[in-house]
Amino acid sequence: MPKDRLLFVKEGRARYISHLDLMRTFQRAFLRADIPIKHTEGFHPHPFISIALPLSLGFSSRCELLEFGLLEGTTHEEVPARLNAALPEGVRVLTCYPGQRPTRELQWVLYELRVDRAGDAPELCRAWGELLGRESWKVEKPSKKVKTGAVTVDIPTLVKEFTFTDITETGCVLQIALSAQNPGLNPSVMVNALTEACPQFTPEFVQYERLEILDRDGKIFR
Amino acid sequence: MTKELEKILPLVQKPARYTGGEYRAVVKDKSQVDFRVAFCFPDTYEIGMSNLGMRILYGVMNGLPGVWCERVFAPWGDMEEQLRAHGIPLYGLESGDPMGDFDLIAFSLGYEMAYTNVLNMLDLAGIPVRRADRDGSHPLVIAGGTCCYNPEPLSDFIDVFSLGEGEDVTVEMLQVCRKAKAEGWSREELLRALAQVPGLYVPSLVDVTYGPDGTIQSMVPREGVKLPVLKRIVSDLNTSYYPTQTIVPSTEIVHDRVMLEVFRGCIRGCRFCQAGYAYRPVRAKDPQVLIQQGIAACKDSGYQEMTLSSLSTSDYRPLVELCDGLLDYCAPRDIGLSLPSLRADNFSMSLMQRLQSVRKSGLTFAPEAGTQRLRDVINKNVTEEDLKQSCRVAFSGGWSSVKLYFMLGLPTETDEDVLGIADLAKKVLAWGREYGPHQRGGVRVTVSTACFVPKPHTAFQWEAQVDMEEYMRRVTLLRENMRERNITYNWHDPDTSFLEAVFSRGDRRLGAALYEAWRQGAKFDAWSEYFDLQRWLDAFQTCGLDPHFYANRERGREEVFPWEVTSTGVSRAFLARERKRAYQAVITPDCRKQCSGCGANQFCPGGVCDA
Repeated sequence: MPKDRLLFVKEGRARYISHLDLMRTFQRAFLRADIPIKHTEGFHPHPFISIALPLSLGFSSRCELLEFGLLEGTTHEEVPARLNAALPEGVRVLTCYPGQRPTRELQWVLYELRVDRAGDAPELCRAWGELLGRESWKVEKPSKKVKTGAVTVDIPTLVKEFTFTDITETGCVLQIALSAQNPGLNPSVMVNALTEACPQFTPEFVQYERLEILDRDGKIFR
Repeated sequence: MTKELEKILPLVQKPARYTGGEYRAVVKDKSQVDFRVAFCFPDTYEIGMSNLGMRILYGVMNGLPGVWCERVFAPWGDMEEQLRAHGIPLYGLESGDPMGDFDLIAFSLGYEMAYTNVLNMLDLAGIPVRRADRDGSHPLVIAGGTCCYNPEPLSDFIDVFSLGEGEDVTVEMLQVCRKAKAEGWSREELLRALAQVPGLYVPSLVDVTYGPDGTIQSMVPREGVKLPVLKRIVSDLNTSYYPTQTIVPSTEIVHDRVMLEVFRGCIRGCRFCQAGYAYRPVRAKDPQVLIQQGIAACKDSGYQEMTLSSLSTSDYRPLVELCDGLLDYCAPRDIGLSLPSLRADNFSMSLMQRLQSVRKSGLTFAPEAGTQRLRDVINKNVTEEDLKQSCRVAFSGGWSSVKLYFMLGLPTETDEDVLGIADLAKKVLAWGREYGPHQRGGVRVTVSTACFVPKPHTAFQWEAQVDMEEYMRRVTLLRENMRERNITYNWHDPDTSFLEAVFSRGDRRLGAALYEAWRQGAKFDAWSEYFDLQRWLDAFQTCGLDPHFYANRERGREEVFPWEVTSTGVSRAFLARERKRAYQAVITPDCRKQCSGCGANQFCPGGVCDA
């Protein structure tokens, strides 16, 4: 199937557009921008659009990938400007290009977590860092896929690296590269596990942002 | 977006309803704006954004330089809880600014069951809900929409009501409000000035007295104010504003498609139908204008679906020309075209085939009553033969399911009429077997009944609603006589119909019960998740009001009605005549066959309607 890609940003109010709604939004945006794209075959053909690694509701991202097929008559270079004029506030296309590597080679996602915690952020960082730095730390994660309703996740095996920065009176920033897929780890699941393990450091609020997508070697994936 | 809001959005269902920022949402520079309107829809985002009137007036107001109109919808319970817990006042979706900072709060009222949401939204904004508790420091609160044809039950809460179609009167009203703001008028001065604008009703400038039997004795306007207030209309739909550039929600809404209004008004004169009387006279749009606007709206929105809307689309004379023109654009682009509101009597084969070439959906007919006698009483000029013809065309064209809508509790209805519904449903089933592609089975008939609600400004405005026990008896009678496997029977809950009957023909004394019910937690009364009849019955009792006085009492011929502070242009004498004919089961021909002298021709140049 089609292998053209968009790299786009999702931020601000657009963070609350769900994955399915975002797919529909892009379908309509292509029509509004009058950019013809490839359709699926079958009884009810519809525009083929696929967004790699669905983003959780409320997260922002600087590095979303959308796969589609550009039809003849439009160049990759003109797509971002035309599409951006047709997209809602907070969804912004950075580049459009022919995809080279399959998305299954996408291995890590670098996240930034802005953690609000007044007073004892240094202690929180120490406690969380200790757990994340272990050889093994198994937690139960709710799952709809299995009958028991929960699967066991060994969190440190899904963490590539992490650093705490900006440790202040009101909180800290955690940059962490987590496994992207097969299996992936959602940072909010990780924060829930950390909170359960150290309830004395329950964050007041956490804001999540995807900074970059990386391949197996930690190089930027496009 | 404030951090406080960011914190609560992850905790609620479908947060995209509360963020704004959609494609084509209007964001203006505050420094260039001198007047701000919070346009409120007292139901969820999904419902409010599906309302064409809301989209039209949003476009009209934002088309005025210096005016910024934003949207506000009723937050669902989970969001309300979070807003209250965090002390966040209800806000405009475009700017995120609290409603209290706006100059004008405008509600769109389409359904009586949304009244408590009006109170709740004002309260969530931190604005006193009763107008007696507000002054010039608060935003002015106005309301428009079809419910305003009886504004009285909401008159404790709303400062000004706008009657009829809002395209023109809204602009005139804003002119007065902006002048008042610039010149620092008092609230009293502003209200008096607005009362002079044709189509605006100011309840504080009318005094109501009641007789010993509880009915209205007099409704006296204060000096300089004239009653009744005649509704406003748009005389030329071809030149009036239509939103070809309109907001495309980022999340799914109920009617997620291009809505193209082909005409206003209705030639039919069904005696129960408020819209049929209140939207007179009939005014059609030129098909070429519609084709051009429909295509422009599709292009601008990226919608893949378009629907034609009106009260009775098959009465649009150039319908075939319109459909052909639209299909020339839609068909090659896989844009679906749907036509609700088709009548059973002139449903044409060629039209159906045209539509079928794009997409096929279920068919719905509304015979409204089960026997010809009762259909004549309500002036629903559809015969069994018409329905048979339509079903034959539909079934042989490959449709396999038909929905039939009826009302129970219509004036003069007997058990024979109720059983007539079962007969008709069984006939439709038989026609399906006779004409359908599948000789056996495969045909489905769904029968739905609702409890008749007598509405103001109709021929049945004098009628009593049957009580809930009687409605349920008729439901049971029908169900027991319609047990076929291929017939599904759904009936509408009578509790909401009862409350609707109370408020649709209520007077201003009901304001106390509305306030009390809201205080006891009533909101989203149109939603079964929230509706609780007992809470309402308790509220009526607390306020010393008898709801049956409003819903179940046949009203005197000469009785003064609360809604007579307003006029749709259709005369009371005409409605009385229609009522008499109803009892004689005499039909009144549609407006094209013969003018019945309803009075709405006063809106037409030269006194002649273009029915």
